[in-house]
Amino acid sequence: VLLWGAGLVFVAVLAAIIEGIVSQSTQAWGRFGLGFIWSTAWDQVSNHYGAGTFIIGTVTVTVIAMIIAVPVGLACASFLTEMCPRRIATPLGIGIDLIAAVPSIVIGLWGLYVMQPLFVRDVEPFLKTVPVVELLFKGAPLGAGLILAGFVLSIMIVPTMVALSRTALAGVSTLDREAAMALGATPWQVIRKVVVPGANSGVLAAATLALGRAVGETIAVTFLIGNATSIGHPFSLLNPGATLGSIIVLTFGESQQGSLYRSALLALAVILLAMTLLVNLGGRWLVRKNRNFRLP
Amino acid sequence: VSTDLLDAPAPSHRDAEDLERRKLIQESARSTFKRRRISALIIRIVFGLCVVLVLVPLVALVAYVTKRGVGALSVAFFTHAPTPAGIPGGGISNAIVGSLIINGLALVIAIPLGLLVALLLIERTGPIPTAIRFGADVLTGIPSILIGLFAYAVIVAHTGHFSAWSASVALAVLMLPIMIRGDEEAMRTVPTELWEAGLALGAPQSRVVRSVVVRGSVPGLVTANLLALARAVGETAPLLFTAIGSQIFSLSLNQPMNAIPITIYQDGSTAYKSLQLDAWGAAFVLMVGVLILSIIGRIFAARLTRKTR
Repeated sequence: VLLWGAGLVFVAVLAAIIEGIVSQSTQAWGRFGLGFIWSTAWDQVSNHYGAGTFIIGTVTVTVIAMIIAVPVGLACASFLTEMCPRRIATPLGIGIDLIAAVPSIVIGLWGLYVMQPLFVRDVEPFLKTVPVVELLFKGAPLGAGLILAGFVLSIMIVPTMVALSRTALAGVSTLDREAAMALGATPWQVIRKVVVPGANSGVLAAATLALGRAVGETIAVTFLIGNATSIGHPFSLLNPGATLGSIIVLTFGESQQGSLYRSALLALAVILLAMTLLVNLGGRWLVRKNRNFRLP
Repeated sequence: VSTDLLDAPAPSHRDAEDLERRKLIQESARSTFKRRRISALIIRIVFGLCVVLVLVPLVALVAYVTKRGVGALSVAFFTHAPTPAGIPGGGISNAIVGSLIINGLALVIAIPLGLLVALLLIERTGPIPTAIRFGADVLTGIPSILIGLFAYAVIVAHTGHFSAWSASVALAVLMLPIMIRGDEEAMRTVPTELWEAGLALGAPQSRVVRSVVVRGSVPGLVTANLLALARAVGETAPLLFTAIGSQIFSLSLNQPMNAIPITIYQDGSTAYKSLQLDAWGAAFVLMVGVLILSIIGRIFAARLTRKTR
């Protein structure tokens, strides 16, 4: 009975989380309907709100972080499992694990005081001179903006990516590797054609967890993204922006209980909840689908 | 066994074919050998650079926070409450004590509940434990800011004021899924034979659970709970909706309370040098605290694997 009771409490907590967030957002959904999701309005004077700006901000920052973190993390994990003596790999792995535990507020503070000046002075002017890439970097290099937030976010999720995909890669049978090597495969071919496909579902799971963490990360991003409630024209990765999480943290305190503004903020929370659930469930589905993946 | 087969000479035309093929293989392997060697070298360098790329910012982060943080430490930093910007002698004693109280209470709530739910997952089968396990996994992925909003909606909005205990509830919810899955995994390492041996002695199920299962998996349980604590201590977003922070030294659970992450969040974004210094000191204290928790957790985990091996 005690055990079932504990289970019941846990289920009740889960239900209360969803209920507590959804119920307070009904006013906003009732007023704006589904159009709330893509409307980019955010105006307290005319009391008109939409989630578009923040969804774009969240997605942009997350994509930047994933583009950097997934390949680099995977390469790092491959190096540690495939090309590195265990004497070196084990302490490096533990070190990366430990750094993954550093709280995001500390990383945010560091990003604000160290990375931001670096981005203003060197990185952003440099990105503006690279052909093709510069099309994404129009406007003034202000520092705080989408690219800075995305970059620091990638630093935060890389340890997750390395630690989890390392476990997955290490699970691939040594015999498979040796068979490929005996055929004269280069390390690159071994990794690309044997190890990574063999660890397929594990690597996917690692990327999913990293993605989930990136989408939900709030505090560090709030420090770095510049907190603008519009996307800015023309679109540029140098523009300041806001994510679903950062706008809630920043303005929740100034919103009145029961006001439409408060309700709109909670509607943003509902969207964030839906996004993370989608990432998690989608990731689980992909992992399950790929579990029986066999080499052709 | 007849030796005829061994003695019989191999057909000579096969020999010639074999030699021909061997030569072909050797030649093609030799012709690509250099290319493969270079490819191996390049990939080693590129991947090695990726490791450096990952390590440099991480090491730089730890080093920088240490450098700035150590400079902020003093006796007053640990023993005094904050002073307004510009007035020297301020500290973060209220934040340190606040973090200890809030997280302590969160542990008191979460540890027993997590242990019981984990036991439920182990002892019972069927759709409900499966659903709970699934729920725990989903809850792990829910951003902490949403858990803060939940605590706000359920507690702060109803009591009408911010309080330390609402923060504890938020952090307990945050810890719970990590504890449940960690506890479950730890208790699964206890061999079924031990479990059955206990029952065979005539001990009731509850006694077996207490004396055999829980006691046998203590290192694993400690690891799971410490790692959950390490995650919760550094969380900022849930606290901003619940404990909200305070400038005075407060021990009341029913009042707003300060905590280390809140200090970093608020002082770090001000323009006052003295407050920024406090933020760095707080960041350093928090980082060291979390690292110590993780390291102790890992030591227990290592002891566990050595024992089972």
